[in-house]
Amino acid sequence: MSNVWRRHRGWITPAIFILPAIVLFGVVIVASSLQSVWISLHEWDGFGPMQWIGLGNYEELFADPQFYTSLKNNVIWLVIFMLAPPLGLGIALLVNQQIKGMRIVKSLFFVPLVLASVAVGVVFTWVYTPQFGLLALLFSAFGASAPALLSDENLVTFAVVFAALWPQIAFCMVLYLAGLNSLSEDLIGAGRVDGARGWNMLRHVVLPQLTQVSFIAIAITAIGALRSFDMISVMTQGGPFGSSSVLAYQMYEQSIFSYRFGYGAAIATILFLIMLVFIVWYLNRIMRAEDRSA
Amino acid sequence: MHSLFGGATTRRAFLKTVGGGAAALAVGGIAMPAIAQSNNLTIVFNGNNENQTNALKAIIAAFEQQSGATVTLNQMDHEAHKTAIRNYLVAGAPDICFWFSGNRMKAFVDRGLFDDISDLFVQENYQSVLGGTINAVTVNGKQYGLPLAGTLWGNFYLKNVFEEKGLVAPTTWDELLTYGEAAKSAGMAPFAFASKELWPCAGFFDALNLRINGLESHIALMDGKMSYLDPALTAVFDRWEELIKGGFFLENHSSYGWQEAAPLLAQRKAGIMNLGNFIKYAIPEADLPHLTFVPFPKIADIPRFDDFSTDSVHIPANAKNKELGRQFLAFFYQPENLAAYLAPAGNVPPRNDLPPSSDPLVNAAVESLKQVQGTAQYYDRDTDPDMAQAGLNGFQEFMVRPERRQDILNRLEQTRTRIFKV
Repeated sequence: MSNVWRRHRGWITPAIFILPAIVLFGVVIVASSLQSVWISLHEWDGFGPMQWIGLGNYEELFADPQFYTSLKNNVIWLVIFMLAPPLGLGIALLVNQQIKGMRIVKSLFFVPLVLASVAVGVVFTWVYTPQFGLLALLFSAFGASAPALLSDENLVTFAVVFAALWPQIAFCMVLYLAGLNSLSEDLIGAGRVDGARGWNMLRHVVLPQLTQVSFIAIAITAIGALRSFDMISVMTQGGPFGSSSVLAYQMYEQSIFSYRFGYGAAIATILFLIMLVFIVWYLNRIMRAEDRSA
Repeated sequence: MHSLFGGATTRRAFLKTVGGGAAALAVGGIAMPAIAQSNNLTIVFNGNNENQTNALKAIIAAFEQQSGATVTLNQMDHEAHKTAIRNYLVAGAPDICFWFSGNRMKAFVDRGLFDDISDLFVQENYQSVLGGTINAVTVNGKQYGLPLAGTLWGNFYLKNVFEEKGLVAPTTWDELLTYGEAAKSAGMAPFAFASKELWPCAGFFDALNLRINGLESHIALMDGKMSYLDPALTAVFDRWEELIKGGFFLENHSSYGWQEAAPLLAQRKAGIMNLGNFIKYAIPEADLPHLTFVPFPKIADIPRFDDFSTDSVHIPANAKNKELGRQFLAFFYQPENLAAYLAPAGNVPPRNDLPPSSDPLVNAAVESLKQVQGTAQYYDRDTDPDMAQAGLNGFQEFMVRPERRQDILNRLEQTRTRIFKV
C-alpha cells in the first residue's frame, strides 16, 4: 500500500488538490457552456418543452438588425476601452513620483475601482440628465445647452463607454503601479550610466519590463469590454430603442424579458466565439512565456 | 448567463425529484384520515407590503375561526415568486395563490394550471359588482381568478397649477389640442412624458387604440389575431404623430424615468402625466391634495375602455382542497375583508360596492371606473412577453423618430408572425 502511495504520490497529491477546481470548472463553466450551445439549437421559453429547430436561431440572428447594432456597439466598446491601458500607464507614471501629497492623489485615482459599477452607472446617469444634471449645469454656465446624451441613438454608446472607462483606467493604473514597483533597479541604474533619460529611459528601459503587465491589462480590458452589461443595464437598459445594447445585454433581454432562452443562448454562443479569439491569444501568449522561462 | 441556464435546469431537476418524492408520500399516506386533508388550506402570497400582509393574516385568522380550518400562509418574495410559480403549479401546488390577471394569467390557463371558478362567480353573483374588470380574469367565457388591487391608467394633473396657468384638463381630442397650445405658450410641456423604462409609451398606445378602435380590436391585436399593418391602426399612429410633431411630449423623454418626470408637474414645467395612480409616490406631499385624475380624452364615438391592470388570486388546477379554497375566496372577497386587504397599498378596488377609501384619488378612480365599459390590462400584460418587448422598443423609437413608422410597424408585424405563428 505504502509502496503504491510512494510510487504515485508524485501525481496523486497535485491531482487531489486540483480536483475541486476541476469539478467546479467543469460544472459551472464547461458543462453549462456546452448546455448553452445545446439550448441555442432549440426553441425554449424557459419552462415548457424544448423544441429542436437546428440552426433556426442563428438564421434569425443573422437577419436581425438588432444583432448588428449590438455587434457594432461591442466594437465601439472594444476600441474605446483600449484607451484604458495607455491612460492607466500615464496616470501610474504620474502618481509614482515621490512628491508630497501624492498618496492622496493616488487614492483619489483609486476610488472608482472601489465603487460598484452599478453605483458608477447611476452617478453618470445623473450627470447626463438633461436640464438638471451636472453636464447640463456645466453647459449652461457657458450659455449652451447640453445634448441629451442618453437619448441620442448615435451618442448614447459613447456616453456609457465613457462612464465605464473611468473605473477601467483606475484598474489599469493599479496594474501598472504594481509593475512599476517591481522594476529592476539595476537596469535603470545601468540605463542612467549609459545616459538614458526621459523618453528614452521610458521607451527602452521601463516599458520593456512592463510587457507582461501591459499584456494582462490589454487582455482583461478586452474581455471587460466584451462582457459589458451592468453599466448598460443601469444607465440605458439598451435604449433608446435598443441603440445602446450590446450582445451580452441583448442575450439577457431575449432570455429574461422575452422568454426566448434558445435565441438568448444563440447570442451567448456567438459572444463566446468572439471572446474565444482573445482567450486563445491570451493563452497562447501565456504558454509561450512559460516555455521561454522554462 | 451560463450559470443561469445551468441553474434553471438543475432547479427543474431538483423540483422534479422533490415533486416525485412528495407524490410518493401522498400515495403512501392514503391511509391518513380524509378529514384532516379537507380542513387544511395552503396559501402562497407574494405581497411585499407589511401592512397588507398583516391585513391578510387578520382575514385568515377570522376565516379559521369561522370555518374551523387550519390555514398555512407561505410568503414569497415578489420577484422570486414570478419564477417559482412556474414550478409549484406543476409540482406541489398550494390551494390558493396570488398572481396577475390578463395575459399573465392566461399563460397558465392555457397550460391547464388554474382552476375554473365560474361556479363561484355564479354562486356569489360577482358579475354584478365587478363590472368591466371581470374581463381581466375571463378566458373563453370562464373565470379563473378574482381580481384584486387595480391600477387605473389615465391623465393626472395638479389642479392648482392648472388654475394658476389658466389651463383646462382636456376631455376630447380638440380640447387636447387646445390645451397643448395653451400649455406650450405657458412654457410647459403638455405631457410630462418619460420613456426610459419604455412601458409608458405602450400606455399611450393603449390609450389611443382603446379610444379609437375600442376594446375588441385592441385585444385582437394583443392576442396576435390582428396585424400591426392593419389599416385600423393608421388613425392611431396618425394622431400620435400629430402630438409628437406638435411638441406635446417632454423633450428628450427617453432620458427620464417616470419618477424623474413626475416632479415636473409641481415644478410647472409640464402639465399632464399619463400614468397609473402610483404617480402619487413621485408627487411632493404638499402638492398631493391637488393631484387630479381625468380619463384620457374621448376620440372616436365609442364606449369608454381603459387600461385597468389588476393583481388577482387563483386556485391552482392541482390544488388538493379546492372546495375549501372556494370557501376562503368567498370569505376573503367579502367587501369589508377586501377593503381591509386593499387599504394599505392605496390601490383601486375591483368591486364597486366597497366602503369609500380615505384616499380621494382612489375614490375618483372608483367613480371613473363605473363609466368604463371594459378594461384591458396593459400592453405588456395583455400580449405575449416577447411581443411586448418588441412593441415597447418600437413605440419608443416611433416617439423619437416618427418618420420610421413604416419600418417599425413592419418589424412588429414580423415579430407577431414569428410569435403567434400566423
